[in-house]
Amino acid sequence: MKHYLYFLFLLICISINAQTVKSTEVSESDTLFLPKLTGQTYIERKGYKGEQYFYDDWVDGDILLSTGEMLHGEKLKYNGLFDELIWVNMSNYRQFELDKSFVAEFWLKGIRGATIHFKRINLGEQTDTHPSEIYAQIGVEEKVSLYIQRKISVVGDEDIYENGKLYNIKSIESKPLYYIKLPSNNYLVLRRIRRNAFLKLFPEQKKTILKLIRAGHLNFKSEADLIKVIELMNEKGVI
Amino acid sequence: MILFKRTFILFVIQLAGLTFCVNAQIANHETGYIQTDRTVYVAGESVFYKLYVLDATSKKRSDLSKVGYILLRNANPNPTLKIRIKIDSGLAAGSFVLPDTLTSGVYQLIAFTSEMKNFGERQFIHKEIVIANRFDKELNFKLINSGSTDNSKIHPADVKPEIKTDKLTYGSREKVIVSLGKTNSKANVSVSVFEDPGIASTDKSIAETLAGLSTVQPDKKVLNTYLPESKEKIIRGRVIDETTQKTIKDATVLLSCMDSIPNLQYAVTNSNGMFQMLLSDYYNGKELFFTIKDMPANQHWKIVTEDEFALSNTWNPPLTEIKDNFKKFIDKSQNIVYINKCYQLNNVLIAKPVADRNYICPQLYHCPVSTVLLSDFVQLNDLPEIAVELLPQLRIYNDNGKYSARIMFESSNLYYDKPAVFLDGVFVDDLNKIIGLGSEQIKKIDIVQSERAFGNLIFEGIISITSKSNEILNTTPASYSLRIKNDNFNQGGSFVDVNPDSIKDKNIPYYKQLLYWNPNLELSGTDSTKFEFYTSDNTANFIIKVEGISDDGTPISASSTIQVNNKLNVTVK
Repeated sequence: MKHYLYFLFLLICISINAQTVKSTEVSESDTLFLPKLTGQTYIERKGYKGEQYFYDDWVDGDILLSTGEMLHGEKLKYNGLFDELIWVNMSNYRQFELDKSFVAEFWLKGIRGATIHFKRINLGEQTDTHPSEIYAQIGVEEKVSLYIQRKISVVGDEDIYENGKLYNIKSIESKPLYYIKLPSNNYLVLRRIRRNAFLKLFPEQKKTILKLIRAGHLNFKSEADLIKVIELMNEKGVI
Repeated sequence: MILFKRTFILFVIQLAGLTFCVNAQIANHETGYIQTDRTVYVAGESVFYKLYVLDATSKKRSDLSKVGYILLRNANPNPTLKIRIKIDSGLAAGSFVLPDTLTSGVYQLIAFTSEMKNFGERQFIHKEIVIANRFDKELNFKLINSGSTDNSKIHPADVKPEIKTDKLTYGSREKVIVSLGKTNSKANVSVSVFEDPGIASTDKSIAETLAGLSTVQPDKKVLNTYLPESKEKIIRGRVIDETTQKTIKDATVLLSCMDSIPNLQYAVTNSNGMFQMLLSDYYNGKELFFTIKDMPANQHWKIVTEDEFALSNTWNPPLTEIKDNFKKFIDKSQNIVYINKCYQLNNVLIAKPVADRNYICPQLYHCPVSTVLLSDFVQLNDLPEIAVELLPQLRIYNDNGKYSARIMFESSNLYYDKPAVFLDGVFVDDLNKIIGLGSEQIKKIDIVQSERAFGNLIFEGIISITSKSNEILNTTPASYSLRIKNDNFNQGGSFVDVNPDSIKDKNIPYYKQLLYWNPNLELSGTDSTKFEFYTSDNTANFIIKVEGISDDGTPISASSTIQVNNKLNVTVK
């Protein structure tokens, strides 16, 4: 009898759960009609020694599309060698490089405990080696902004024999580029974080900036120092 | 015993969860009220409306639905007019023109949101109006029996702001200044000043309507929950097998429309064979082309979309004979419409500014493409010839009259055999239909030579053909495709209060039965609110009617009357 009662209670509980499914359908409207990501099939290029990606593992990310629509919780990777955002479609586990002009900004979450915010910026001029639009991490975004391109560059190559065949393997490593955006929308490029190189970019404000660096006790050797200087420049209205 | 206790606790938790879910659903339920400028019209006139969509529990303006539907019907099963409107923070205002072919009789205006459908048609917003055909002099129709409706009944929850006019009686073409007493909180009301038709009204105030509402449960007859249209219109449909009439699950339904760029939206049918798609402003006024991706051979599937205006119940109200004084009123209304038509004074509407075309096109791709402009080359007769002569990356095969295309990928130099073909932005369900298009018809061809993802869909390359004169309209949809027109949102027009002094020719008769209509009068709550309008040459009693809702969900209803004489010896109040 006791067992029969337990079974009856469980049956009621299950049937209640079955009834509540319908009421949760209402929340579907937010997820059912999400914008669709577009891109082409991604096949990782071989023949490189070193890491092509800003962060090797797939991480959860949010994407702000150029249409203003937002997508959350997509699995993403940023390829710094080819400046492409790679998306893995969890419904078929296939990888695609997203159409760059469709992505305005994206956030990579949980990278060494932090969320990294990237933005597609237009550098204005396009050359064979320099595309006009790149993805860059936002360092500072104010009157004077700092964008960091997490570039992976080829630093050398070597020929190796494997299974009786000769291969050319390129060595790659992280070589970030720092783009300083001025209020005039022009970009200045800093290839290395060096105080003198930075001061050369601002010949007219050189003395003021030097004072800011000294007052802030910045040794100007890390990205944090560069970000701090730009923040101080905005705060003091240097430009 | 412990097991029994645990099971009992589990049962109680589940029961509480169920109660919460049901309550949450009821809390989301919308109700509302519709006010029109008048209750009696002549066919061909405009109806100005104001729709209030409210939360059924708090009676505050609902922010849930952004799309509403209004239809006009009489006892006939087919509605005489259907419009789709935009709702902003629970409010919608606009106008529509009554077709001048309407027969005289009693009509019902029905307004609803998609969310209201979950609770059955009884929960829709109703209002009865009388429409007389302009040429109907017999007027042998019947009116709704008003019964013993007591309009003076006081509803404790409502606010009746005092309506004060600077006079009680006015001359023709004279300014009327009205002061609306303060309410306890901020409110949005609609005000109409119209000629008293002199019949007992079946029209309920917002306070009466809301007081008459009872707690409702979701309609069990509704097979699938209607999602609230909190962003845009949602189109619903099913894929069925024409021979067995069974619904088809997991079918991919594609939607595209005519444009200069390929565009796409898709949905996969659920276990009931149902699909839903969000129709943004991009689709307004456009023809929608639905088809099924990878349609299996020898199957007879069909796409059926739901009519969002469909009603299951007919309307047969108890009617009573029309009285002579009302016949006289209608006769007068018909004459006024005739006079205004003769003097072209009927155009009291001005069009609203065109809404920003700030919509998002669901582009199929956002990447560079290879483009061939056909005008740059010699005349070519058809698509296979164009492929051979101009597009080495494209191969077109003829297999016993069945044409297919293949695209060579840039990365591999291999030909892939399932490229998506678009003509004038629309997904083409059968290449055979467009195989005959040559340089005379085609403007340009864009080709994407890579495997493309569009959400979960994968296309082995894309061919996008743009014709010179919308050739897609000349194609016939396949049996499993569907082409339907998506109507625009009703924008209507707004009432213009004409200052009679601005009419240059003073000899033109100036007759109006609607002196004032303001669908959005904001009341501060702390001060009285003034508004003014002008009388016309129409001597009659006019009703000033105010309906609205305060920010805290209190209904606001008030009415008053003024008299307009054609003489200047008016009495000062």
